[in-house]
Amino acid sequence: MKNTKIGIIIDKYHLEYKVTEFLKYLKSIADVSVYIEESYLLNSSNNFYEEELFFVKGKGDLILGFIKLIEEETSIPVINSYKGTWNAIHRFMHSTRLRKAGILIPDYCMNPVKWSNPYESYIVKNIIDQKNYKFIPKMDEKNGQLKVSDQRALNEADDYQYLLYQKFIQSKWEYKIYGIGQEQIYFHRQLPVLVNANKLESRREIDEIPELKEVAIKAMETLDLKITSIDFLKSDEGVFYLTDINCTPNFNYLKDGHKIIADYLLKSSKQ
Amino acid sequence: MKIGILSKRITGMTGSMANFFENKGHKTKIYLLEDFAIDQSLFENDFYILKSKTLIYLYTGYYLKENKIPVFPDPELTYKHKNRTEAHFLIKKAGLLCPDYICGSLETLKGQLKIGDYPLIVKPIMGSGSRGVKKINSIEDFETEENKLLYMEKYIKGTHYLVYFIGDDICTVEKPPLSNEHVDMKEVPTTNEIRKVIEKWKNYYNLIFGHLDIVLETSTNKIYVVDPGLFPEFTNWKHDKDPAPKVCKLILEKFKN
Repeated sequence: MKNTKIGIIIDKYHLEYKVTEFLKYLKSIADVSVYIEESYLLNSSNNFYEEELFFVKGKGDLILGFIKLIEEETSIPVINSYKGTWNAIHRFMHSTRLRKAGILIPDYCMNPVKWSNPYESYIVKNIIDQKNYKFIPKMDEKNGQLKVSDQRALNEADDYQYLLYQKFIQSKWEYKIYGIGQEQIYFHRQLPVLVNANKLESRREIDEIPELKEVAIKAMETLDLKITSIDFLKSDEGVFYLTDINCTPNFNYLKDGHKIIADYLLKSSKQ
Repeated sequence: MKIGILSKRITGMTGSMANFFENKGHKTKIYLLEDFAIDQSLFENDFYILKSKTLIYLYTGYYLKENKIPVFPDPELTYKHKNRTEAHFLIKKAGLLCPDYICGSLETLKGQLKIGDYPLIVKPIMGSGSRGVKKINSIEDFETEENKLLYMEKYIKGTHYLVYFIGDDICTVEKPPLSNEHVDMKEVPTTNEIRKVIEKWKNYYNLIFGHLDIVLETSTNKIYVVDPGLFPEFTNWKHDKDPAPKVCKLILEKFKN
């Protein structure tokens, strides 16, 4: 019987460090073609692809252009879509759209660099979350006010002369939710990264929290994300705030994550 | 009414529009970069004009639109004009011809481009107009420091025109290749073919003004759209001394409807 053909659109970083087990397993259940951002020549006159589904692991400009080309010129499904990927990397945009959809997110705004801080305690986040580098917090705590800046955001300030502020939510735990389709939602809890930078040290799988499940699904629908990881913080009043959403989650942190994703892709290709 | 203009400058078209609105009794505020925050304080105006398309202004437009404040032109369409890949598909969807494009790193291009693939036009992936646009005749024409992603279109050999439209009024000027909107250009008659292209474009996207950069290919006589623009400065508009009143009237009409 002919195998399902699945295309992987990926950058070199993810290919080298994040998908070894996943690719090995996927190749055992499907024909796999790999398109690497750094060596692929995107050509608008070439729009014939044999794949039944594309899976995206990366968020660079060529990858975005590739997704766009497939969506415009073929009927092959792409996970995640152009809309989902674009929404996820533009933090201000997904904050705006999620809030509009009724999802609780901490107060946020974009202020000129030269203006004073809008909140007593806050995190300055990078505006476009597109490159492969990790969150390096610079923290300053005075008189109970916490000011956190992501080094990436400060580097970016020269380009935009604006900073993206998110009001800080004090929370004992950070809740990490993985969504793989709407049927498979996984719940974890860890100490907030600002408390312990080694996020895996305290990470534990927890029972389903129906309230978070509902919000996660709504967020996935709003932003058009089929595969995602979402961070929540719980305020002193017991209210969950969505603080981050990602279009290329590291599924290696999920037990059997590589299999769950590959099986989901195969199932999706047949729908 | 209270009208906000999202613009990098207070001169040119922005200044003329502000004057027009003020003279008609409206309150106008120009939002220059670094002088405003994107937050609820923006809700004070009845509607906004999105004149500039840098990222901060695009976010502002989206933010306002999501919060039901009208923005002209539409921020989504403005983004699609600024992103070259998106613009390519905008043109195609409207049923118009546009050059094929390729996109990749310099290393990839060096390995895969053949002599017959040239000449090409390199353009910034985010941008419109002529800034950063140049003709590439061979691999040697690339600057070695260009290790970023390169977006290139097939070069169309022919006569280049800049075609403005405001409502039903169309003004066509012949454009020196790769020049910007502001060099002096001479008006030429708008042919039926050009008029058809403009009608198709503005009807498909329900536009009230804008421009298309087009090339009439010498060998085929086909018209290619090489750069669409939603909100030009109208520097070479030849039909009125100042096109701003016409543009403003159309915006007000659109707002009222």
